[in-house]
Amino acid sequence: MIPEFGHLILIVHLVLSLLGGTLPLLAVYANYRSLEISIKKLSVTLFLLITISFLSLIYSFLVDDFSVAYVAQNSNINLPVYYKLAATWGAHEGSLVLWILAMNAWLIGFIFFTHSKDKDFLATVFSISCQVIFAFSLFTLFTSNPFERILPIPPLNGDDLNPSLQDFAFTVHPPLLYFGYSGLLIPFAIAVAAILFKKDTREWASYSRPWTLLSCSFLTLGIALGSWWAYYELGWGGWWFWDPVENAAFVPWLLSVALFHSLITSQNRGVFGKWSILLSIFAFATSLLGTFLVRSGILTSVHAFALDPERGIFLLAILAFFVIGSLFIYSITDFGHVEENKYELTSKEFGFLLNNLLLVVLAISILFGTIFPLIYEAFTGGKQISVGAPYFEIILFPFALALGLLQGVALYLSWGQSSSFSFLPRLLIESLSIFSLIILILFVLFDNLYLGSFATIFLASWILVGTLQMTKKRNLSYWNFLRKRLAVTFAHAGMAILIIGVGVVSSYSLEKEIILSPGDSTEFSDQTINFQSIDDLLGPNYTSKSAVVSFDDGSELSNIVTEKRTYLPSGQITTEAGIQADLFKDLYVSIGDNLQSNIWSFKIQIKPFIRWIWLGALLIAIGSFLAGVKQFKRR
Amino acid sequence: MKKIIDALPLVVFASLIIVLFSFLSDKDDQLETALIDSSFPDFNLGSLSDESRLLTKRDIIKLPALINVWATWCIACRVEHPFLMKLKEESRLTIYGLNYKDNKFKALELLERDGNPFEFSIYDFEGRLAIDLGVYGAPETFFIDKNGLIRERHVGVIDERVWEEKFSKYLNE
Amino acid sequence: MKECGKKNFLNILMNKPILFLLFIIFSLQVSVEEGQVNFDNDAYPFTSEIKESLFYSLLNELRCPKCQSSNLAGSNSPISNDLKREVYELVVEGKSSKQIKDHLVDRYGNFIIYNPPIEPATYALWFGPFILILLSALVIILVRKRII
Repeated sequence: MIPEFGHLILIVHLVLSLLGGTLPLLAVYANYRSLEISIKKLSVTLFLLITISFLSLIYSFLVDDFSVAYVAQNSNINLPVYYKLAATWGAHEGSLVLWILAMNAWLIGFIFFTHSKDKDFLATVFSISCQVIFAFSLFTLFTSNPFERILPIPPLNGDDLNPSLQDFAFTVHPPLLYFGYSGLLIPFAIAVAAILFKKDTREWASYSRPWTLLSCSFLTLGIALGSWWAYYELGWGGWWFWDPVENAAFVPWLLSVALFHSLITSQNRGVFGKWSILLSIFAFATSLLGTFLVRSGILTSVHAFALDPERGIFLLAILAFFVIGSLFIYSITDFGHVEENKYELTSKEFGFLLNNLLLVVLAISILFGTIFPLIYEAFTGGKQISVGAPYFEIILFPFALALGLLQGVALYLSWGQSSSFSFLPRLLIESLSIFSLIILILFVLFDNLYLGSFATIFLASWILVGTLQMTKKRNLSYWNFLRKRLAVTFAHAGMAILIIGVGVVSSYSLEKEIILSPGDSTEFSDQTINFQSIDDLLGPNYTSKSAVVSFDDGSELSNIVTEKRTYLPSGQITTEAGIQADLFKDLYVSIGDNLQSNIWSFKIQIKPFIRWIWLGALLIAIGSFLAGVKQFKRR
Repeated sequence: MKKIIDALPLVVFASLIIVLFSFLSDKDDQLETALIDSSFPDFNLGSLSDESRLLTKRDIIKLPALINVWATWCIACRVEHPFLMKLKEESRLTIYGLNYKDNKFKALELLERDGNPFEFSIYDFEGRLAIDLGVYGAPETFFIDKNGLIRERHVGVIDERVWEEKFSKYLNE
Repeated sequence: MKECGKKNFLNILMNKPILFLLFIIFSLQVSVEEGQVNFDNDAYPFTSEIKESLFYSLLNELRCPKCQSSNLAGSNSPISNDLKREVYELVVEGKSSKQIKDHLVDRYGNFIIYNPPIEPATYALWFGPFILILLSALVIILVRKRII
């Protein structure tokens, strides 16, 4: 009964979201004031409905109701309860319900925290959001219904959740990512309403900014967690693979970063209005496009979502309707007199413009590279190529360099007038000092220097100095100065730390595949690796070969456990890497094949500074979160 | 001019949608065959039935022929086995087997039980010839024409439909 | 106080560029020097570090044809183990990175390498981003005050 109840509630939610998507617009545009409804009440109702529906899906998982097809495909009696919960959003259907839930949550936030006298404008934003929510609900109900039953004879047991998803990071990563994606709905709806109302740029930008920052914060966390998961779960120590599913998250992230920078300028100076509108539309569009690319099956990716061409067409139709629709309205609207605000080539405005240009072209390039194999195949009549990490790294580097150099000077620039560049020598000397300090530390730690890492380390030092501005002359005390711009300091310093991590890990990493039998030891870098023992273990829903490998660098001995698990229902085999995590270097071992009776192969790796990547991402997320929250306080 | 610039995002995005839509229609997930129209690679491997008998490219003499990559661990191979037998019984063309990363005894046992459609099977335990052929799984089937050139390759189960669509035209050349 | 200390140390290093330079040159030499290689337990033993690093970097650049969403380094499937062995043998023979890639492309097509070739059909891929950034930068600088 509970699944039918959830299904019914989802249908009620669909109908109400359609009402929400139409009535306020009729009231505003056709002037049928009698149709006016309380958008606050409706948004709360919608949120409650979708939450109840989602809870009933969770309930079906917790009670092992395998008559529900989605539960039968993604759960199992022996699955630990915690993962049964996570399985709710572990695959396509459930993740859509979560996505709709997230959109509703953002909408409530927007309705309750935006204080505007223009009720019609708010109603329009609400209505546009409801239309998107309606489209997603329709998509869910018609192509991906999570409540579908297997009747009359339900299976006795389920197929199990994909073993590589049975993991902590993977229970948290999707909700964060979906919250990030769906948050971009709000800036989109505001932008479309801003076109319809020909709103003053400063005004609508101030409504949009906090939501863009918050979505960006969630996206950052979601992406970072995904990267962390890939690092320890896929077993080869990579932290970013440029897989389509990663790019599908990275592109909206880049655009959301571009967007909130552009909105800062729009809000403060009244410029870049049309540009901010377009960016809002495209940030939302790419979040949908990424979903389309990953779930329609046109690209091969690490995440095998159940693929179905019908879903692809439906998603593409949603994308086409909203994005082409809004771009059409944009193209026929005469914005009339645009506020002109002159700015110099060395002003803060121009800095933001360059930042946007670089971010947007980078985003376009990554999107293009992701779908290029398809284009190539079409044009060459079936020849195939792969566009992967080596390509994207080559493309990313000059953009990252330019963005980083810009980021270092950005905080010194001032609005409107030509900025003085007298800070440059100071900035250069200080960042060279930090650079040498980092190089020295690296040399002390690893007895080695790699020229390849110098550029990234210099860039990181440059950004750090430009962000902290420790020695700049000012009237405030340093602490007060920092407190005034805590958010940007966090975010920009986070970027510097992330870049150090990337630079060091990509040049100082060591890896080797070795073959050992228990008791054997071998040398690797300054470590003595010893294969201590291997045992059979029995987990809740898997059997496992669990090997203990010790790393000894003369002063510290660490025993690391790596497992090869065979999950019982599916027979799928996963490798659990063993990691000794440390701020300066990770020791990483993953068990390979059983070559002869007791002889095993292992992949051992040393990953210096890899934690800095996620630490940096965390700081960026905190920074953009603080910046978003600060926007509420200001009003 | 201004109107054109305002319409530009619309045009760009609409064309992207059309391009993506065209990709949706048919997606063939087979890898391309790099060896099309080149001659069969050299090899030097034992025969499945008698490992002391060394086989080379020169032993593939009855052309045109199919080269079928198979193994006992491959379930799909068992699905296509009857069709290969049918090809042999109707003497449409010679089939050579490439036994891929398999247990020799199990393989011989299977041929004993279900029939042997192959002129002979090359025993490629280490997957060496398979790499030279660009094989990435089993079953795979290659068509070698009368000049010894690889003309077509199919990944997955071969049946009457695949035969008609992909292979039969080369036989009638 | 701590920051002060850091600064003094930095100042010393910065004020003595020759010391710093020597330090860099010395350390670079350390990194280029070929270390003693112990390969008793190596799954893929090499006689030189250069070959070894070539091998491991190739594993990261080559795509597993079976699993398709991972590189050879990240895959344990039988076909990628065979391909690893093939790459290993070629590296040991002394083949260059390009020769090895060509060898595999001849068999599996360009699909097998994650780095697409530069040819007329991929010009848009390789040069598009840079042309786009130059063009848009030009446009923005020229019409800066009018459109935006």
